[in-house]
Amino acid sequence: MNAATLAERLCAYLPVLLAGAAHTLLVSAVAIVAGFVLGAVLLGLSQARGGRGLLPALVRAYVSFFRGTPLLAQLLMMFYLPSAAGVELPPLAVAMAAMAANSAAFQCEILRAGLSAVPDGQIEAALAFGIAPRQVFRYVQLPQVARAVWPAVVSEAIDVIKNSAIVSVIAVADLARSGRQIVAANFRPLEVYVTVGLSYLLMTAAVFAAGTWIARRMGKGRAISARVVNRTAIRT
Amino acid sequence: MIDFALLGELLPLFGEAALRTIALVAAAMAGGLALGFAMNAARETGLRALVGLYWAYTTVWRGVPFLVHLFIVYFGLPSAGVRLDPFDAAALTLAVYSGAYFAEIFRACWQRIPRGQIEAARCMGLTRRQVFWHIACPQALRASLPLVANQTILVMKESALASVITYPELTMTAGKVVSEQFVYVEPYVLLALSYWALAVLINRLGGWLRRYAAL
Amino acid sequence: MDIKDSTRAGPSGEVPMISLRGVGKSFGAHRVLADINLDVRAGEVVSLIGPSGSGKTTLLRCMNFLEAYDEGEVRIRGALLGYRKTPAGQLVRETERSIAEVRAPVAMVFQQFNLWPHMTVLANVTAPLTLAKGMPADQARSVALQALDRVGMAAKADAMPAALSGGQQQRVGIARALAIHPEVMLLDEPTSALDPELVDEVLEVILSLSRDGMTMVMVTHEMSFAAEVSDRVVFMEQGRIVAAGTPDQIIRRPEHPRLQAFLRPWFRRSLQGAAPAEAAA
Repeated sequence: MNAATLAERLCAYLPVLLAGAAHTLLVSAVAIVAGFVLGAVLLGLSQARGGRGLLPALVRAYVSFFRGTPLLAQLLMMFYLPSAAGVELPPLAVAMAAMAANSAAFQCEILRAGLSAVPDGQIEAALAFGIAPRQVFRYVQLPQVARAVWPAVVSEAIDVIKNSAIVSVIAVADLARSGRQIVAANFRPLEVYVTVGLSYLLMTAAVFAAGTWIARRMGKGRAISARVVNRTAIRT
Repeated sequence: MIDFALLGELLPLFGEAALRTIALVAAAMAGGLALGFAMNAARETGLRALVGLYWAYTTVWRGVPFLVHLFIVYFGLPSAGVRLDPFDAAALTLAVYSGAYFAEIFRACWQRIPRGQIEAARCMGLTRRQVFWHIACPQALRASLPLVANQTILVMKESALASVITYPELTMTAGKVVSEQFVYVEPYVLLALSYWALAVLINRLGGWLRRYAAL
Repeated sequence: MDIKDSTRAGPSGEVPMISLRGVGKSFGAHRVLADINLDVRAGEVVSLIGPSGSGKTTLLRCMNFLEAYDEGEVRIRGALLGYRKTPAGQLVRETERSIAEVRAPVAMVFQQFNLWPHMTVLANVTAPLTLAKGMPADQARSVALQALDRVGMAAKADAMPAALSGGQQQRVGIARALAIHPEVMLLDEPTSALDPELVDEVLEVILSLSRDGMTMVMVTHEMSFAAEVSDRVVFMEQGRIVAAGTPDQIIRRPEHPRLQAFLRPWFRRSLQGAAPAEAAA
């Protein structure tokens, strides 16, 4: 293979791949953020009334389903079942919804593990000193949970980016699909798909590096000084 | 809303597809565990080249979506002269993909062995290889069982992507029924139930293995 | 020796700091506390001793409603804790706010310190002041520094708990309790989680607080210390108060046979083998 032509070909792929990558990052970002919010909501619901009753059971069923079945199956269901009922949904919206719903289940578990990592004794001491439950959550639990779950959240973000390749199956113009389009045109599957693979690798490596850098920043600013606690507390 | 008669009719079809999914997962697990174990063993030798190989393998293979791996093997390799049928392609790709995850699991379990035990063994004249096989392996493998069981579920979920390269496992079978018979609810209900049943089966197996290993 | 005399309020008739009447608690079918009657007067130091499972820690935790007792009444300075009496005479669970009001004069020191690891030492002490009592920041800071100084930890105000030894952490825990200016301190095995060489620094602080007249209820296994610092010692077994009296009556010259059995290992260690019954009068 002529080296110069390879480089030329790679340059030709670039715009298509970049457009695809943009879609990949869009879908992933929405999935991660919406998944976090939904996951937190699910966790809150699951703690209602001490974890007993219908609502917590529903949350457990949700988490079990979305973590235990393949994302591809979930995506196909969310795409084809509405059309059976006559509702035509745009593929991009379905992709974002499915990935968010999926990620929410994982992030719910991550948050739950993070919350339970804060020793009961610390919460007990705070309540014994008359600190209100809302303040206990804000000043005792939240700071520690945030630091504890960060690595797992970064890991989940990387998984979401990788999983997003699946949405190409329902015709979303992401990075994987851009690859298929190029291959359909120039019949060079090996070099195109390897390029696509390396692009994903670049994305996941970047997210990992960013995550690690933020983790180090969080570690350095560990100390919540008396000033911060006091300054924000006076308003109560 | 759900046609239970149809569900009954589809059952054997899904049963067959489930067996194919199991076959794929089993093949991938066998290959993946062997490869992951070998990679970790290579890393344990401490030789620079092998350690580098380990990190390159685990980083690259885990950083790229499995779908892209499949495309490279099933659509890309033929142009280099290697043509694989859907099962072989899926099993091979899934084995090498999950191997990276198993390697990391084994690395974690190996590193959890208290350094004092290794020091004691080396002091008493055991070679590195003997330490690996007689001191580290028994303990680390036992510790790895829960993590391996969990990873098996993940392998099962990734196996669904084999449908994209036309291997007739569960997801592809469900898709076929939907597009051929124009029924939507029953196939997907069966699909969800099948994967859920497999997950339960894998968890049971894992529990049994753990109890067996505790002896 | 009549337990009642040793546990009830003195003849002065003043309202006891803490008063327990017929207090009982069960965890499911398991009865952890039964028929506890006890008064703690202002300025007193009361030690709770007994074997594991005797209910002493549960009893302590009922005194600030960290455990909800099932029977009887716990009163802090005369105010009923945790419950409200209906006109019909029934006990109904109180709101969190009312509970917090009633137990405001009570501060606790925990066996596992329970400091908040992501806050500095100073923040650990000011947090209850600013968050629970709404104290202004600069006032909280000076109160906190005073409390830290009282336990000898003022120099470490900006350190993180993880950088401190167990004894230092527990002293910070004591400072945190002191800073809210409590009327009574509950200490739950304050030195049990410490390495032996760190125990003394904490005991010193507790002793010094007792000399300042702080009312304290302490669960402890340190028999010599209990004998030294307490005004009264209460011996519990299987959820009941079996014996109560002065340190002399309970620890140094115990008459109750179960007490003697419980204290035998301690005697063996402290009096070089002399069994309690043979201890010199």
